[in-house]
Amino acid sequence: MALLITCPNCGSRAYTEFWFGGELPAPPPAPGAPVDASAEFGRVWYRRNVAGLQAERWFHFAGCRRWLTVQRDTRTNAVHAGD
Amino acid sequence: MPAIDFEGRSVPIHAGDSVASALYRDGVRILSRSFKYHRPRGLYCVSGDCAHCMVTVDGEPAVRSCVTPAANGQRVARASAWPSPEHDVLVSAWWMRALLPVGFYYKLFAKPRWMWPLAERYIRRVAGIGPVDTTARPGRILRRNHHPDVMVAGGGAAGLAAALRAAGRGESVLLADEGAIGEKVAPGPTRSAIAKLLASARAHPQVTILEHTRVTGLYDGPLVIAAGEGVAHWIHPARIVIATGAVEQHAVFPGNDLPGVWLGRGAARMAGVHGLAPGRSTVVVAGTTEALEHVETLRKSGTVIRLVVAPAAIAPHVPSGIPVVVDGTVVEARGGRSLRAVVIMGPAGRTVVSCDALAVSLGFVPRDGLLRQASIGIINGAGDVVEPGCTVARAIASGEAAAERPLSAPMSVVPGVGAPPGGGIVCTCEDVTTKELSAAWDEGYRWTELLKRYTTATMGPCQGLLCHQHLRAFVVSRSPAGPAGAPTTARPPARGLTMEEAAAGAEHAIEQRTVLHDRHIDRGARMDWAGAWKRPASYDDPLAEYWAVRRGVSVMDVGTLGKYRVCGPDATEFLDRLYPVDVRTIKPGRSRYGLLLNEAGHIFDDGLVAAMGANDYFVSATSSGADAAEAWMRDWAETWRLRVHIVNQTTALGAINVAGPSSRDLLARLTKDPVDNDTLPYGGLRKITVAGIPCIALRVGFVGELSFELHHPRSRGVELWDALLAAGKDLGIRPHGLDTLKLLRLEKGHILVGQDTDFDTTPGKIGLESLVRMNKPYFIGRSALERLATRPPQRRLVPLRFAGTNAPDEGAQLMDGDRHVGYLTSSRYSPALECGVALGWLATNGGSGPVRVVAVSRGQRRDQGEVVSAPFYDSKSVKLRG
Ligand SMILES: [Zn+2]
Repeated sequence: MALLITCPNCGSRAYTEFWFGGELPAPPPAPGAPVDASAEFGRVWYRRNVAGLQAERWFHFAGCRRWLTVQRDTRTNAVHAGD
Repeated sequence: MPAIDFEGRSVPIHAGDSVASALYRDGVRILSRSFKYHRPRGLYCVSGDCAHCMVTVDGEPAVRSCVTPAANGQRVARASAWPSPEHDVLVSAWWMRALLPVGFYYKLFAKPRWMWPLAERYIRRVAGIGPVDTTARPGRILRRNHHPDVMVAGGGAAGLAAALRAAGRGESVLLADEGAIGEKVAPGPTRSAIAKLLASARAHPQVTILEHTRVTGLYDGPLVIAAGEGVAHWIHPARIVIATGAVEQHAVFPGNDLPGVWLGRGAARMAGVHGLAPGRSTVVVAGTTEALEHVETLRKSGTVIRLVVAPAAIAPHVPSGIPVVVDGTVVEARGGRSLRAVVIMGPAGRTVVSCDALAVSLGFVPRDGLLRQASIGIINGAGDVVEPGCTVARAIASGEAAAERPLSAPMSVVPGVGAPPGGGIVCTCEDVTTKELSAAWDEGYRWTELLKRYTTATMGPCQGLLCHQHLRAFVVSRSPAGPAGAPTTARPPARGLTMEEAAAGAEHAIEQRTVLHDRHIDRGARMDWAGAWKRPASYDDPLAEYWAVRRGVSVMDVGTLGKYRVCGPDATEFLDRLYPVDVRTIKPGRSRYGLLLNEAGHIFDDGLVAAMGANDYFVSATSSGADAAEAWMRDWAETWRLRVHIVNQTTALGAINVAGPSSRDLLARLTKDPVDNDTLPYGGLRKITVAGIPCIALRVGFVGELSFELHHPRSRGVELWDALLAAGKDLGIRPHGLDTLKLLRLEKGHILVGQDTDFDTTPGKIGLESLVRMNKPYFIGRSALERLATRPPQRRLVPLRFAGTNAPDEGAQLMDGDRHVGYLTSSRYSPALECGVALGWLATNGGSGPVRVVAVSRGQRRDQGEVVSAPFYDSKSVKLRG
């Protein structure tokens, strides 16, 4: 079974057990901290869409129902070590 | 004797027959008429590659008869000919081909415009490869999932060797072949080698073999789709070995598609496997050493070998007694409905040889449709598909290596190209000639991809297997440098896939049911999809359901709601950041309605936040958004590293809403706990025991009447439902469904997220600013709303009232004079208010927008409407607070 994702809770599982959560975004500003409106707009709306290694979020809905971050090569679907 | 029904007459079948071999034995030589010019076509490749032998079998069009086993009672017919494939008058299209220039569908009937409908009718009748049977037969094809370590496509020597090597290492292997393994190969050393490997593979417990199973495509995952007999296989392997072999090179010369012209392996297969001679007298073009075996095989089947055309290296090995033309070429095949003679150009000049069969072996072209789809580095090719024409020993070694080799990059095989095609039909599927390629080239289509699209060459049933190399050779001969001659992109399906096979499993959608499902059915409920759930849309009498809520008492199964327990030391902090409402001020025993916003400030769900105690909350989300809401909550809890537990109770808890003026009286009959308005007011919640069942009772207001949402252990749902209906009999109790709910909430002006909102709806656009506390220092979406506050919305969701007893359609367009100003998202006739009530988007352009509008429904029905204020019903919410 390929495009295997290693869940820290459940082990190596098929990608069909996960929902894709998109690119790992930059960390959000701390709650209540002053916000730079244009930087925040970019963080919320823009994606890098890389051809290559990408850090991304997956939700293990058919397992532990936890999020995890994986490094996936978008050209080959090879999944490398987690975050 | 077993027989097939061929166009109304009985054709006997022998053991091991394909549909094509049975028909051929019976004397049928023309199996189809070509796509555009209606040229007669007979057996050619006999390997399931070309489209020449496609017939309709048991109602399924475009079936390759050469690889379809014959079965007693099969109904077989040819397609697309008038009056019959034997005497097809539409062949006149060939003589009138000057009128059907290349790309004619793009330009010929464009002017005058009135010509097109007539032309289209003609083209639809003439073109094509048989009518599609549109009768729905759901569930006839099953979907089956497989999870092998290694998937092997192709059961030749290379594929079997790969399977055995992988299995030998303890890996699980699934091997699929589109025919019966080994049976396409004419008797000889290759066939013996395959038989030996096959016996070992069958005996190996780690190997699963699927025969008569076409591998049609590779998809991300990877996912391999293969269509077998009555089964669509969804294969999820770790690695893939493509060993689909090679097809003999298609020869291009005038008359190359006449019945009687065969690919060498095709003629040999028919002779060796079925004992059927390709004709009475045969000319063999022996460009490969394998063709020498064919000469023997053909002779044994009873045909006379008139002549062998061979290069100098092979000519000396031709059996003595057979005339040989050394270094000759076939330049033309002559005949009307079948081959009568071939014209050979040799060193000594032209010779015309009369014959009724021509077997052409010029070399091999990889059957690489699947391999070229590969975009990820776990896919290996083996055998002929990477080394066309290789020996059996080489194929076995290549298969074993492919099973071992770990790859890091996609395998790319770009075979070289040979000489450009001569005159004749390059693409027999789509009837594209060399002349037409030249014409397209002259019009400026000077790239393989462009020529392909413009001429449709390579786009037929064989997906370029026969003609792709010629298309490339044509381009390379005219544009030798540069990328213009690159291979075209290969896409699934590589082999035909029926709609039925593609849709297999679609009817297996998982249907979520609440424990009350059978109760609803027993009451005659019409069930409808609501996300993954099946929910009652309505029972027998929608109007009675409505009045039961408004005037008496009613129950509704709302067990599909998303339900979560959120607790832990940071629970209040967590929910206060998540919701735009003030969560800190919700006292234990009270609840508050909140919208869920994303970081862009857009609404994606809504629900209740109910405080059970300090840092202990019961949170609800919409039925269809339940999963997403959980994922969302967990994402933020982890991002902020807050100390909270999130327990999804959606399936653990059932919920029944008891609604209507008499709901309190009903509840009082079943509980000893106080349910009066002081103990359990609107917006309150309390643990109570109803009919012996522990419940969390929430005073909610979605339908606009006094109501109690009873959340209870799912296992006791039926008990609670029955107790409520029994105790409320004298109060006229009856359940209501989703249709009634949608009307009830609309009368109160409550939105349905997803129906009344779009993906970019902010609270301000729908008049729910009061649910956003901008004075809170933080909540998700706050900074986006702050930014958007400087830009007044260009449209708003507004309540509208329509006179009359017929509400406009949902989706009706709103007009202000002749200006289009919006559309309705919800619209119903209100029995209580005796008018139409609706919600709709109205262009306000930063102001307030028009007050009077006309709603245009289907059939141009027009209703005068007026923008009013919500709620329509019980505007002071007195009943709600009851
Ligand atoms: Zn997991």
